[in-house]
Amino acid sequence: MAATAPERIAPQTPPHTPVIRRRRRRRISGRAVLSFVTIAVLLYLVLGPLVMLVLAAFEDTSGGVRIRPPFPWTTANFNHVFANAHTYTVLWSTIIFSAGALAFAFAVSLVFAWLIERTDLPARTTVYVLLVAPQGIPALVSAISWSLLLNPTNGFLNLVLRSVFGMGAGSRGPINVYSLPWMILVQGMALVPLTFLLVTASLRGMNASLEDAARTSGAGFATIVRRVTLPLLRPAIIGALIYEFVTVVEAVDIPLVLGLPGHITVLSTQVYNASHPPVGLPDYGASSTYGIFLFALALVPLLFYNKMLGRSGSYVTVTGKSFRPKIQKLGRWRPLAIAFTWAYIFVSFVLPLLMLIWASIQPYFGTLSRQALKRITFTSYHKTLTSDLFTSALKNTIVVGIAAAAVSMVLAMLVSWIIVRSRSRFRWMADVLAFMPHAIPGVVIGLATLLIYLLLPLHVYGTIWIIVIAMGTQYVSLGTRLTTGGIAQIQPSLEEAAEASGAKARHVWRRVLVPLLRPVFLNGFLLVFLASIQNLTLPLMLYSTGNLVLSSLIWSRWDYGDATGTAVLSVVMTVITVIAALFLRGLSGKRQGE
Amino acid sequence: MAAIRVDRLLHQYVDRGKAVTAVNNVSFEVEENQFYTLLGPSGCGKTTTLRCIAGLETPVGGTIELGGTVVVSDRGIVPTHRRDIGMVFQDYAVWPHMSVFDNVAFPLKVGKRLSSSVVKDRVHEALALVNMEQYVDRRATQLSGGQQQRLSLARALVRQPKVLLLDEPLSNLDAKLREQMRKELRLIQRRIKVTTIFVTHDQVEALSMSNRIAVMNHGVIVQEGGPRDIYLTPNSEFVAAFIGATNFIHGTVTSQGPVVGDYTVDSTVGPLVVRSEQELTVGAPVTIAVRPESLTLSSDPVPGMNSVEAQVDIGLFVGESVDYHLEMGGLLMRAKGSARSRFRRHDKVFVGIPPEDCTVIAEDGATSSRAVDHIEGEADSVGQTV
Repeated sequence: MAATAPERIAPQTPPHTPVIRRRRRRRISGRAVLSFVTIAVLLYLVLGPLVMLVLAAFEDTSGGVRIRPPFPWTTANFNHVFANAHTYTVLWSTIIFSAGALAFAFAVSLVFAWLIERTDLPARTTVYVLLVAPQGIPALVSAISWSLLLNPTNGFLNLVLRSVFGMGAGSRGPINVYSLPWMILVQGMALVPLTFLLVTASLRGMNASLEDAARTSGAGFATIVRRVTLPLLRPAIIGALIYEFVTVVEAVDIPLVLGLPGHITVLSTQVYNASHPPVGLPDYGASSTYGIFLFALALVPLLFYNKMLGRSGSYVTVTGKSFRPKIQKLGRWRPLAIAFTWAYIFVSFVLPLLMLIWASIQPYFGTLSRQALKRITFTSYHKTLTSDLFTSALKNTIVVGIAAAAVSMVLAMLVSWIIVRSRSRFRWMADVLAFMPHAIPGVVIGLATLLIYLLLPLHVYGTIWIIVIAMGTQYVSLGTRLTTGGIAQIQPSLEEAAEASGAKARHVWRRVLVPLLRPVFLNGFLLVFLASIQNLTLPLMLYSTGNLVLSSLIWSRWDYGDATGTAVLSVVMTVITVIAALFLRGLSGKRQGE
Repeated sequence: MAAIRVDRLLHQYVDRGKAVTAVNNVSFEVEENQFYTLLGPSGCGKTTTLRCIAGLETPVGGTIELGGTVVVSDRGIVPTHRRDIGMVFQDYAVWPHMSVFDNVAFPLKVGKRLSSSVVKDRVHEALALVNMEQYVDRRATQLSGGQQQRLSLARALVRQPKVLLLDEPLSNLDAKLREQMRKELRLIQRRIKVTTIFVTHDQVEALSMSNRIAVMNHGVIVQEGGPRDIYLTPNSEFVAAFIGATNFIHGTVTSQGPVVGDYTVDSTVGPLVVRSEQELTVGAPVTIAVRPESLTLSSDPVPGMNSVEAQVDIGLFVGESVDYHLEMGGLLMRAKGSARSRFRRHDKVFVGIPPEDCTVIAEDGATSSRAVDHIEGEADSVGQTV
């Protein structure tokens, strides 16, 4: 460079003038522009909804939400909500529902993780796959199939039980799935795949010699589990617990399908109901107030995260050669363990799927009988799959999935790059902003996004793009988690070498960072794609006739009472998500192999 | 009486549908208070043998006796936690969720009930033994590698076990610390007199610390003996090469004499006189192993001993000596020259090979060598068999 620079500037500059002078003039670098734009977009996406939420909660919204003075400030919403006895019932149900579902999911996941990683349970690989597989079934679909199985009027299993117990044809029950215990059970089973994955990964990653050392110290099996294995798993368990807690409190699918008929309301469905009443005008003030409650509830465990984690966060140990951990012989417990395992797999995975398939090939919903076998028909598949509603919903789903994944992953890459690399003063801001959506329940993001685009004169409301924006906001946290790790693994010297070779910021990105991050990006892209096509909360909050996606279509068919159509759509949806999940697994498997 | 007796230990596991024998009928005995080392390259079965003794692996066959108690036999297997052992792991396996005190107290708390004051005393005693008393209130995660190593040793010793098992405890330390811990570990072992089995792949550790060494390869013990036996009279090319650098010269025995015990071997570098304890058959093919430090270099032939002409490829000055790489009759040889020697590349030198430093390894694997009469018993060897 020293050789060429003087030549270039020679015509204007006398030979003795230092070159530095010209360079010292401040130029806005490509890096600075990129950081600024990224943070501005994040601010808009994340803080915008929160501001709207607070405004709506503290305003008199009978005339709509105002974003310009004079603000109709009032605390009436809060007074109203606090004075309503129903609020406390809802809060209580939310706590019972989420605590119960989490307790169930973690108990089951820990048992299975231990059985698979530490015992001689037969067919462990198969069991592993079958426990993770229900991840491909959206919670909405599993709620629907449980409703088909166990609703008190004509639930499939209830009909079977009634004939077994000789109950009359006009009777109801004996099991009512529209009740809190069954909601807990169904939600718990829906949480198991991810919880199990998280727990089992950390159990597998645990250094086996930590348990061996306890064994050679004279500790028996029970002591090792209690004093060594479980305490070492604690950080992973707490991390998973907090993540899953947010998942439970923000979910509307199971509470809507199973809670609504039994008049059991949790905070998320309360937010939805207040903003989408079956009759009358939406009460955005009340809805926002409940939304703030929900936000606070989700925030509580996050605030105590570090405290709960204690000093155990820094579990870094020297690693030596790895031996397989000691395999515990189940002995006489083996038949029991096998029975439990396969019974669970049957109930949580096989039974709901069979139910859906059965319901989808019956012209109307009835009991299993010789006549019913004769009634098997695929006409509803033909009818549903050729309808315009389905084709447009399918198209919308794919567009929303791809767009949401692209938006959140591109944003996530830029944010991670700022967090890891930039020396900017606003680095902490990017970090906090990208983390926040993790704590904001989806139903709150949905509500706030709805409020914003009801007001802003952009033609976004009622289109699929409002869903894309909301999903981009929600999934930027998930994406950032993945990409921050990815960028941190790339040594800064690779970028510096590119700069030293004369590359501008965009060249560094295009030629160095993007190719190196492609595997991480693809993995995250598919993960977000999968999450967004399964998402019911946001499409439902932002629902209008013009932006129907598969999940909201299923819900509307279900709400309408079309069991067969719902079942057909559910089967189709499950097939799509399973294919996407397989892609994801194949991709991440390949990445580990590299 | 032997403190540890391992008899025909057999360990197999299945890897991708194939049975792999990790330990193949290994038998050995360790006398009371001895420091016994299993030495070998990675994958030789030494760690698996140790883990069988600890009970962390279940062998397919064989018996193991610890302090007169049969812990592994056809009749049954005593679980690890009922064996009277203490073990130090390669990665120390210090529990990150406990303090230093809790780590060391763990073996006492899970065993038979002891009053808390006894526990406290014993923990302090164990920590004092490894010079870690001042760290008793630290969290385990705040310790350096060397400190974790000491902590792990204290934890293994706190129960005052009959047998101490060490699985490559020094391999994660840096060179300086390793040298220091080598000495300390040996001193501690001698002070508290605990029968110890030590697993390592480092020959220097094995030679400097052990009463006896068993060199393992492919799941069997290739040679067993005191450190000097192993070093000076290796019984195979494998042992000779594994314990330090060795030159190998192949040849055939041509005649006996002139002195009793001397033989002439017609080798690839010319006729060599070697001295052998064992009788050699004229006409038998043999391998001569000779260590670089046994060779002498001079510019003129030395009469009255094997003196072979060679050419210097390169001489690397390493401070205490010069590491010469030579070409001798088509063979590449290494010789350790004195620090003052200054042979240069392409210099012609004469290599002196003392007959008594030639270890003759018969091609069938049996060894013959010069007398081992000058091997004195190890200062602390209690039951060494010479």
